[in-house]
Parts: sequence; C-alpha cells; structure tokens
Amino acid sequence: MEFRVFDRLLQDRLLQVYPTAKSTLALLVLLLVAFFLPVESVLAHSAKLPRGIDKKPDFSGIWETTSAADDDLEPHTARPDAAPSAGVVEGGEIPYLPQALAQRKKNFESRTTADPRLKGWTLGVPRGIYYREPIQIFQRPRDVTIVHQFGHSVRTIHTNQTQHPDDPNDWWLGDSRGHWEGDTLVVDVKHFNDKTWLDRAGNFHSDALHVIERWTLVDANTIEYQATLDDEKVYSKPWTIKVYLHRHPEKDFQLIEDYRYTLDYDQYYPPKRE
Amino acid sequence: MQNMNSLTPSSTHHPARHAAIGLWLASILWPAILPAADAQTPPASEKPAPTVVAPAAPAAQNRRPRETTFPAIASEQWRGPRLADGQPDISGLWSNTIGNHGNLEDPQGGVIGEARRTPLGPREQRAPSRVSDPADGKFPFQPWAKEKVDQFRVGFHNPTYPGHVEPNARCAPGGVPKSLYWHGYDIQQYPGYVLFVFDNGSRIIHLDHKPHLPSKLKLWNGDSRGHWEGNTLVVDVANHNGKALFGRSGEFVSEHARIQEKYIFDKSGKRFNYVATFDDPTVYTRPFTITIPAIKYTEAEESDGWNLEARWAKHDGKAQILEHDERICHENNGGFGLGSTETTSPAK
Repeated sequence: MEFRVFDRLLQDRLLQVYPTAKSTLALLVLLLVAFFLPVESVLAHSAKLPRGIDKKPDFSGIWETTSAADDDLEPHTARPDAAPSAGVVEGGEIPYLPQALAQRKKNFESRTTADPRLKGWTLGVPRGIYYREPIQIFQRPRDVTIVHQFGHSVRTIHTNQTQHPDDPNDWWLGDSRGHWEGDTLVVDVKHFNDKTWLDRAGNFHSDALHVIERWTLVDANTIEYQATLDDEKVYSKPWTIKVYLHRHPEKDFQLIEDYRYTLDYDQYYPPKRE
Repeated sequence: MQNMNSLTPSSTHHPARHAAIGLWLASILWPAILPAADAQTPPASEKPAPTVVAPAAPAAQNRRPRETTFPAIASEQWRGPRLADGQPDISGLWSNTIGNHGNLEDPQGGVIGEARRTPLGPREQRAPSRVSDPADGKFPFQPWAKEKVDQFRVGFHNPTYPGHVEPNARCAPGGVPKSLYWHGYDIQQYPGYVLFVFDNGSRIIHLDHKPHLPSKLKLWNGDSRGHWEGNTLVVDVANHNGKALFGRSGEFVSEHARIQEKYIFDKSGKRFNYVATFDDPTVYTRPFTITIPAIKYTEAEESDGWNLEARWAKHDGKAQILEHDERICHENNGGFGLGSTETTSPAK
C-alpha cells in the first residue's frame, strides 16, 4: 500500500514537470514498482501455479474441455451431430495421405454406427483428453494417473525416467513416458493399436501413431494441452492440435463411473424377488 | 492365431490381453470342461495350448502359496510411515492371499457343482469362509434369495438365461467386494483420495466428507467416502447397484445395501484385512461381515500373471520398478480374445 501512495506522489510530481510524458511515466512507475516487489510477484504467472512436493506444476484435479474438438478436429459448420467450430488443428486441416483421406470419408459417412466410442471402448490418446466428459488427474513424482470418466479408463504417464518397453503390445492408450521441460510436462506416447478414432467425425490413425503431448498450466484452473500426431501410414507430415482444459469449479464435483459398455446386459443383475 | 499365441509360453506378460482371455476362460472353459484339482488355480494363461486336463500345480511357479489361515489385525494407532498429507503410506500393489472368486463360503473348496478329480479333505484344512459373521460362515439369505443363488449355481455351468453368466466374465467391474479377491490391484494415495485400480474398474475413495451422490444414482462400484482411524481406512459405500455378483457362487446384495468397509493395516504395512459389513434387509435376514486378507507385493517380485501382473520398467538405473500395463477388457472380449478384429486403418 505504501508503494501506491509513493507512486501517486511521484506521478503527480513528474506530471507537473513533464505534463505530456504520461506513457513514459507509466513505464517508469512500472519499473520502479517492480524493483521493490519480490521476484515471485513480478512473475505472478508462474508463482500462482499449484505445485507438488517435487515443485513441479501440479495438474491434480477434475478437468474438461469446452472445445468442440471431439465433434470434429477440423473446421466445420453446424450439422445435426456437431456444433460449428473453427477447429483445433494448427493450419486447419489434417494432412492425410490420399488413401487415408478416402478412409476418413468412409468413416465420416458411417460415423453414427462406426465410431468406437459407441461401444464404450477406451477412447485412446489424445481423444480421451478432449472428449466431453470430465477426467481426473492424480499426480505423484513417479507418475501422472488420468482417470477418464468415460469407460473409467485409467492411463498412466510415467515420469520416473523410465523408457518405452522393448517388447511392446499394441495398447489402446499407447505407452506414455513423460519428462519436464521447465514447467511443461512433455509426454511421448507410442505403441498404439489402430482401433480408436480421434473424434466423432471419423478422423483416425494407424498403429504407427506417435503422439507428443505438451501439458502446461497457464493458470491454476486452466491447462493448455497440445498434441503433435505423427503417423507415416496415415499422414503426410506431423500435425498439431491445441485445446484448453478447465478445472471443474462446482462444489463437491466428482467423477461418476461411466461403464456404459455394461448397458447391454446390466438388466439381468442382480436377481430380483418375483 | 492371436488367441493361440496368447496361450503359448512367453517371456513377456501382456495382462491386458490376459484379462480378456482369462475372463473368457474362467467363465466358459474352466468350469465347463476342466475338472479342477484346485479350483483356486487361475486360468492357465501362462500354459501351452489348452488340454482337457487341469494342471495339478499352479500355472506360475513363482506364485505364493495360498494361505489356509491368516492373522487377525486389530484397529489401533498407526506408527508406520506417513505421506505428506498425513495418511498412512500403504500405496502399492496388493492381492488377496487365500483364493479367488470361485466359492465364498469355502474359498479353497472349488466351484460349487463342479466335478472334482480328488476328494476334498477335512474342512479345517482349508481357508475359512469369507463370511466371518455369522459365525457359521453362511450367508444369511432370505428364502427367495437363497433360491435365486441356487438357481445361479446350476445355471453357471450350463447357462440358460443371461443372468447365469457372471457379469465380471463380461468385463463388468468386479464391484464390492469381489474386486478384492480377483486379480491383484494397485492402491494409490493422494491428498484427499485413495485410488484403487483394479483389472476391471477403479474406485476413487473420497476422504473429504463431501455428501454422497443423489441416491437415485446406482453404480457398479458404488460411491465411496472414507477416512482414516489410526491404521484403519474406514469407507462408507452408498449408491451401490448390486449388479456385481460376489463370485461364481452367485451371492449378491441389492441396490438397497449399505456397506461399511474397514481396511485394517498391520504394523509392517505389508498386510491388511478387509472387514466389511453388508446390510441389506431386502435380501438377508441380518447384516453379515466379509473378511478378506491381503498382502503387499514388492518391486523386487516377479509377475505371477495373476496376483502380481506388473512388470519391471526399462530404465538406465539399477532399481527394479514395477509397472502395470493398461487395464483393458471389454474391448478385447468379443469371443476368445478375438473381439477386436475390426480396424479403422486403410487396408495394408
């Protein structure tokens, strides 16, 4: 508070002497104030981030995107099953190889029945992140665990200097190995199968998919999520999406299990009294 | 050939695939055609191509022997290590010690209604009933519920109705309490939470005393609120849908059940007893208690393909670090491990 009084006096005094130097003055005042404040306050952007016991940014919490990425990653106008969106792909469009583009068209035409999400299957990476159901992130120094509400799939990002295995399976969620670059968690994901889609519009990948994710807290309640996808069988070059995840602010908000793949048979249990 | 490949000996473990095939075997092949010498032996996913003779010994040589008795653990103060938020540190890979889900009242007595190659010995040579109260070890069913369970035990071997298939064999969550005597599982702890990651499903135990979900929401794993009392994690389970049967012996509760769980950890932090009281006046004549002993596995232990399915991570250091493959089931469960034959890729 004292600084402010001082600033005001200084400003008045300087304006009397140099009445037209307002913008220069503003800059001077800013520098002067900054000089007296602790470094953390000047760099308030990073100082306010929640951090774990290892001082790394702490992504713990329940998150969800507000983007229409899962409707269609690419730019699209409104249609019965999608809200309009400018898309989340840098450069606008996914660089499909010609044969793959034909497959994408087929997927799009059959999307109301062929989308793997309709079977309740694990959504994969990156789709599970921007699917419109919340995810909960649990974080320890050794790993980051993501529980997806949809299907209650559990994904582990190993952050303990371990490497991709030598004898990989083809996994629905791939194999995730993360490391920190400053305050950004960079995750290398590979060893996927080819059974997941990237959105409801039939965008897809093969088992050669390689994803590099960049997770950054831009403030305590917002994650910037960037993913670069490379797949030599399907795309002509790597391409990148960016979405934002927002912390659920509702009081007592929690995930509610969504094992929707049980809906075909759950009526047979438990036995009922006749 | 994918199904046969996964049944051949392998130096690597792929629990995700095992889960699906194991479930399928467990529900269909095992009880139907294999006269089990030891019904607690898990599906032979590590064995060569199946034969009609069940293995006399456990499939994995490194599996710990089944306990026939286990110590009681008193609720008391916790003097072991704690996490930064004050919780007793019990994180790690755990599994039950006396058997699987074949038979709750006689956990080492084989699946009910299944032909045996060798007769059972005296009852006291086998682990006690999972039911620790009433003292006779029997579920205190109301007559209509006992009738339903008996029907299930017959239908289980020759299903004539969809409800004769154990839902877990369809990859439904194992639920409460069965998840604790199915495959091994991972307990993780975070400020405000204990997270159980099972092969089929996961449970998030909330430690913050928030109210339960609206009562009309009914869930396979229920809605859990917990708190620590010394060495004991006390969990109140509401919103339970009753759909996950307790095992191949078919016991169940309805959606009206209230469940109070106690996870009582011993001094070493390497063992706990799960002691849970189930109260459901619509199915039972009185509340009953289920007790399940569990032990913790160390990073140095090699996978046995069932109780411990994790494997050692690749890294440059010397330490052994266990990690678990992704837990996938229903996606691969369309029939003998070949469910997911569709592809979204262009033809290769």
